[in-house]
Amino acid sequence: MQGTIRLAALAAALALAGCASFSADGGMSAVADIAGHITGKEVASVRGDDDAERVRAATRRLLARPLSADAAVQVALFNNKGLQAAYSALALSEADMVEASLPPNPTFSLMRISGDGALEAERQVAGDILALATLPLRSEIARERFRQAQLKAALATLRLAAEVRRAQVRAVAANELVGLLVEAQSAAEATAKLASKLGETGALNRLDQAREQVFYAETTAELATARRAAGSARERLIRLMGLWGDDLNFRLPDRLPALPRRPLSQPFVEADAVGHRIDLQVARLELTALATALQLSEATRFVTLLDLAGLDRKTVEPDGRVIRERGYDVQFQIPIFDGGEVRVRQAAETYNIAFNRLTERAVTVRSEARDAYRSYRAAFDIAGHYAREVLPLRRIISEEMQLRYSSMQVDIFALLLEARQRLASRRAAIDAVRDFFLAEAELSAAVNGGVASGEDSAQQTASALAPSND
Amino acid sequence: MLSRRTLLGSAALAGASAVSGRVQAASIPEAPTMDKTVMQPPLHPSAGPDYQPVVTLNGWSLPFRMNGDWKEFHLVAEPVTREFAPGMTTHLWGYNGQSPGPTIEAVEGDKLRIFVTNKLPEYTTVHWHGVILPCGMDGVGGLTQPHIKPGKTFVYEFEMKHAGTFMYHPHADEMVQMAMGMMGMIVVHPRDNLPPPVDRDFVFVMSTYRIEPGSYLPKVNEMTDFNMWTWNARVFPGIDSLPVRLGDRVRIRIGNLTMTNHPIHLHGHKFKVIGTDGGWLPETAQFPETTTDVPVGAVRVLDFTADNPGDWAFHCHKSHHTMNAMGHDMRNLIGVPRKELAAAVGKLAPDGMVMGNTGMAMGNMEMPAPDNTLPMMTGSGQFGPIEMGGMFTTVKVREGLARDDYRDPGPYQFPKGTVAYEVASAPEPVRRSDGAPTQVRTQR
Repeated sequence: MQGTIRLAALAAALALAGCASFSADGGMSAVADIAGHITGKEVASVRGDDDAERVRAATRRLLARPLSADAAVQVALFNNKGLQAAYSALALSEADMVEASLPPNPTFSLMRISGDGALEAERQVAGDILALATLPLRSEIARERFRQAQLKAALATLRLAAEVRRAQVRAVAANELVGLLVEAQSAAEATAKLASKLGETGALNRLDQAREQVFYAETTAELATARRAAGSARERLIRLMGLWGDDLNFRLPDRLPALPRRPLSQPFVEADAVGHRIDLQVARLELTALATALQLSEATRFVTLLDLAGLDRKTVEPDGRVIRERGYDVQFQIPIFDGGEVRVRQAAETYNIAFNRLTERAVTVRSEARDAYRSYRAAFDIAGHYAREVLPLRRIISEEMQLRYSSMQVDIFALLLEARQRLASRRAAIDAVRDFFLAEAELSAAVNGGVASGEDSAQQTASALAPSND
Repeated sequence: MLSRRTLLGSAALAGASAVSGRVQAASIPEAPTMDKTVMQPPLHPSAGPDYQPVVTLNGWSLPFRMNGDWKEFHLVAEPVTREFAPGMTTHLWGYNGQSPGPTIEAVEGDKLRIFVTNKLPEYTTVHWHGVILPCGMDGVGGLTQPHIKPGKTFVYEFEMKHAGTFMYHPHADEMVQMAMGMMGMIVVHPRDNLPPPVDRDFVFVMSTYRIEPGSYLPKVNEMTDFNMWTWNARVFPGIDSLPVRLGDRVRIRIGNLTMTNHPIHLHGHKFKVIGTDGGWLPETAQFPETTTDVPVGAVRVLDFTADNPGDWAFHCHKSHHTMNAMGHDMRNLIGVPRKELAAAVGKLAPDGMVMGNTGMAMGNMEMPAPDNTLPMMTGSGQFGPIEMGGMFTTVKVREGLARDDYRDPGPYQFPKGTVAYEVASAPEPVRRSDGAPTQVRTQR
């Protein structure tokens, strides 16, 4: 019995050294720090009714006004249930960490055998000594894993923020296009009516009537298409923001914000990205955890199991004689056939894989950062070119055509032709501004984490390459 | 006669004071230049045989000097700016500061020595259109003489064997140079009194241009679709009126260097065509008319007596030639309700104007137009808009004008009861619907 007590005392002492406890917020403060610092938004894990109430009120306030990109991100951080699930997963991983940092539970066994008047009773307390000895190492690994989980939650936050930003930009741009086409359609409708009236007075033949009316017909079709696209873009934003029911009546701004006066200057964009990228930090922690695991494997390569058991056996012979025996039982497993080499190799190669993955990731991050910055600058220049050159020139053309119309130099339908060309330029300008804000979100993601999924960036590239210039 | 020469001397001095450029050699006469577009007073001869000088519409006559028994003139071919009418300036080529160039006046039998200096960026020549002269003086580049290269001065010498009205223009790259405004008139006064001298003798040349609204240079390759129809490179309301004294015998000499004919119509009078660039018509070939066609590359000289006081329209009768710049590819909007038109225009051109739904009458509208673009119909009289442009002006017949007074006498003061007036109460016109003739023929 004395041995058993001694074992228990040892276990308790060791446990105190490596034991972790649950945090008050399930590890959210670290996530809020990282994600909040980068997005400038409040990050909240909604757990109780109080949280829900607070988030609800904040969401209502944000949805009351035309929804800016920033407001959309905040609404999503509060309401996206996928993100909340990620936060719950974080809390779950905290439990795993706590579990891993506790000493191994001792095994108690009680055996009683009787027959032929004889009785044998054995009590045993057994504990995994090796596990206890390596507890600090294991607990360190668990802490790294938890820290990793926190970063992953932060990354999920950033990803969502970037997605929401992109979705908001797309939805507003789609709305702006709808507005433009509504304007164009009303002009086209007026001239189409004029064309049919001229058919009635005899001034326009069937061919020319059709020519003048086809713009109206085409614009109507384009408007329907644009409305559909705007609806889809809005729904995507709604999904990301996690909204339903009454919350769907929010308004979007009529147009995208103006371009910034000058573009961000980021000479150290690569270094910034390597320093900031959350996914890179996750990979780095992975490597640290694996290094610790490798140490663990090295430490335990020759003995993989060391069970120490204290025994207390009482035997009652048939003749009533009582024999009492005490002792201990040591069991250990020696990897004779591979000398532990297999496990060490496995650990080492896992480490190497992680190392190479991290290096690869860093190379990719650098490249992504450079690419994103160049795209950002190019998108800024293109959108600025539309704002400074193309649209003012279109305005001059429009004014001069109106003067020519007023002084009877050109026909009213020449104005229609000019309006069509102006429309094409204005569409391209909207696309260019949209592409700039998408590139801006992309740049932030490339520096901080939250890079878009492949499909999204492919879409954006395609639209940047082929601006609609109908 | 002497007093008239004294008057002329002062006019010649005024001309000489406006000389531009240096006299290159003592043997070459000065080249006077003109910077005004208003009609200059007649230039009475300072030397040589006397004559009744012409008045060039919105132009001037070129002063000369006598050198022995030669009359010497100096023409400088050069780029000029010409105001077509207030509000529109064009960049043309011309002579001595203006396009068209100054009128050259001489007397039948005069020996002329005309120096021509080329300040154009390309070579030129001067052809004396209609003048009978030695072949080597005819001014056809390549055929009768070498081209006058930029910076060079050539001299033409010939005798004016015939009285009449002629023209001058380049015969080197002439399509471009005439489209740029290189032309002028030559008037050779008769030594005897045939045709009889008149009290007022006007001269001008017609030219056409294609100038895109808002631009300053003519499109020299345009062959048919011109939009500026000018008399002496002026358009109404930029063309001076022709003031004449009641009872004056009036002569108008018209040259045509456009690419189409112009039926010139005078209101309130009948005239006879007495001459062409070929000479004088025999009296038996003259017949009265109020419109005469001036063919391409020809001259017509009209004579009439101004015996009907008033402001009389005088214009080309091709209606689009009395319009300034206008688009030709226009739908006819007559019959479309104004509201519907306004809806379409308002959407496409918020600052545009609605017009054309009842016709084009728009003389009293303020029409915004591109820079350097004249309204297509303009000018106003004492009763309202005249709605004319291009080849239009008025002959103003008045009592008691001074002999050499060519100033605008202002609008005509109509004697009471001589102006068309509105009927006080006019019922709907009565119509017969059975198609029967309204005049019943009397039975014999």
